Amino acid sequence: MSAQIALGTTEQGLMYAIMVLGVYLTFRILNYADLSVDGSFTLGAGTAASLIVGGTDPWVATGMAFIAGTLAGLFTGILHTKFKITPLLSGILTMTALYSINLRVMGRANISLLGSQTVFSDFTKLPFMEEYGVLVLSLVSVLFLGSIIYFFLRTELGLALRATGDNELMIRSLGVNTDLMKILGLALSNGLVAFAGSFVAQNQEFADVSMGIGMIIAGLASVIIGEVLIGTSSIGRTIIAVICGGILYRVIIAVVLQLGLAPTDLKLITSIIVITALVSPSLRKKIASWR
Amino acid sequence: MLSVHQVLKIFNRGTINQKTALDNVNLELLQNDFVTVIGSNGAGKSTLLNAIAGNFMVDSGKISIESIEITRLPAHKRANLISRVFQDPLSGTAASMTIEENLIMAFRRGKVRRLRPAIGSKERDLFRLELEKLGLGLENRLTHRVSLLSGGQRQALTLLMATLQKPKLLLLDEHTAALDPKTAEKVLELTCGVTEQQQLTTLMITHNLDHALTFGNRTIMMHEGRVILDIKGIERNNMTISILLEMFEKASGSHMNTDRMILA
Repeated sequence: MSAQIALGTTEQGLMYAIMVLGVYLTFRILNYADLSVDGSFTLGAGTAASLIVGGTDPWVATGMAFIAGTLAGLFTGILHTKFKITPLLSGILTMTALYSINLRVMGRANISLLGSQTVFSDFTKLPFMEEYGVLVLSLVSVLFLGSIIYFFLRTELGLALRATGDNELMIRSLGVNTDLMKILGLALSNGLVAFAGSFVAQNQEFADVSMGIGMIIAGLASVIIGEVLIGTSSIGRTIIAVICGGILYRVIIAVVLQLGLAPTDLKLITSIIVITALVSPSLRKKIASWR
Repeated sequence: MLSVHQVLKIFNRGTINQKTALDNVNLELLQNDFVTVIGSNGAGKSTLLNAIAGNFMVDSGKISIESIEITRLPAHKRANLISRVFQDPLSGTAASMTIEENLIMAFRRGKVRRLRPAIGSKERDLFRLELEKLGLGLENRLTHRVSLLSGGQRQALTLLMATLQKPKLLLLDEHTAALDPKTAEKVLELTCGVTEQQQLTTLMITHNLDHALTFGNRTIMMHEGRVILDIKGIERNNMTISILLEMFEKASGSHMNTDRMILA
């Protein structure tokens, strides 16, 4: 693999790792497989892209993408908690609705950002940042968001969120409104996913209405890969594991592509990774014992 | 203190499985009352506790604690008044979280959860002190995950969590039934200690008739959703297990599952 591809893969991996942090919040912390992710990733990309094309400052556009994502999560959360729709169906409903909304937001199926001002184009203009600007900005963003999540999960509110995913009956008997916690977790998670979507769009200089398809499975695969290889003995360790999982997943994809597989085969490979991990918890233990 | 007035709860109303779980139950608890609750399976003991804790809304009637009416409050809004220990040792703690994290969540029972670091050194010292009283060596394992503890240790921890912040009412739902006899004794001993020390008003379900008469100051028996026996004072002091069984059979007109009641 040439240095150029290695650099690009790492950059991408870091951006997708932000999305994986979001998936981790729902999938592991809340114990909730949230399929809205597929829609909110594109929502973030589309929101940021159309705002940037309209002349908005790229950082403001990225912030708006985050907010749009939290709204999508809020919607899923309300469907699940207030109307008692199952987690999977709530996510699918939001994801489906978002497909139309994303087209409305974007106005067309794809938006090119070629030559537009993005967070990366600004950053790479800084001194010494010409070559590694994208890498540095992605890395700083992941580390920043990862540490925020780390500290958040150790606050009173964060503990209540974790307990909601672990033992709902118990934490409700301790006075926590678990419905509110689920909504909060889903909103945060989808906000992060949309943030990642806006970064990816700005980096690849286009947003496409189908770019979020399969994102949830990629997220799950990343979480699982990270956990197996690095471990989950503490919250801090798990967050690092999840970030590394996100990067590693991109590396695996890049290697597979280099081996000559068609890009269209990637979703199959991703599914196989997730299936393998899900059907064999014992396999995880075995792999862990090899270390 | 606790007042349960004409509380009715019917499950699966209008279906073939319709069951009157609470049949206009009336119950008054005084301050510092420690009431043991007995009754055969399906008598409505757990349903009564669930109704008081707010796990479901009752069909009619009124529940209040210290003249605060809680009948329509959701469970999480009753948490500042009531704490609870369940039968299953797994259900009272969050397994993936550490001992100190579980304790701090209980320490903040019924309070608003803020965006500030959950545990400080002051709380840690308090937890160590309280855990020491359990005599299980947990004071040195604050940062261990609860999933590493045995059932008995988890139940002792749950009991500590329930009383760390003094509740107005403590609900114990057969909280020693899933433990081995020795551990059960230990947990009961801890229960007695803390209820006496904190002067707690307590409602304890048990399947053990001996415990029902030796613990607390009052015993009630439930059958088919009603309180059919309520004894305290001299009447209770003169009560024996065999008379209790006899009374049950007379009052309910049916045979109690005596083996389980005596051997439990």
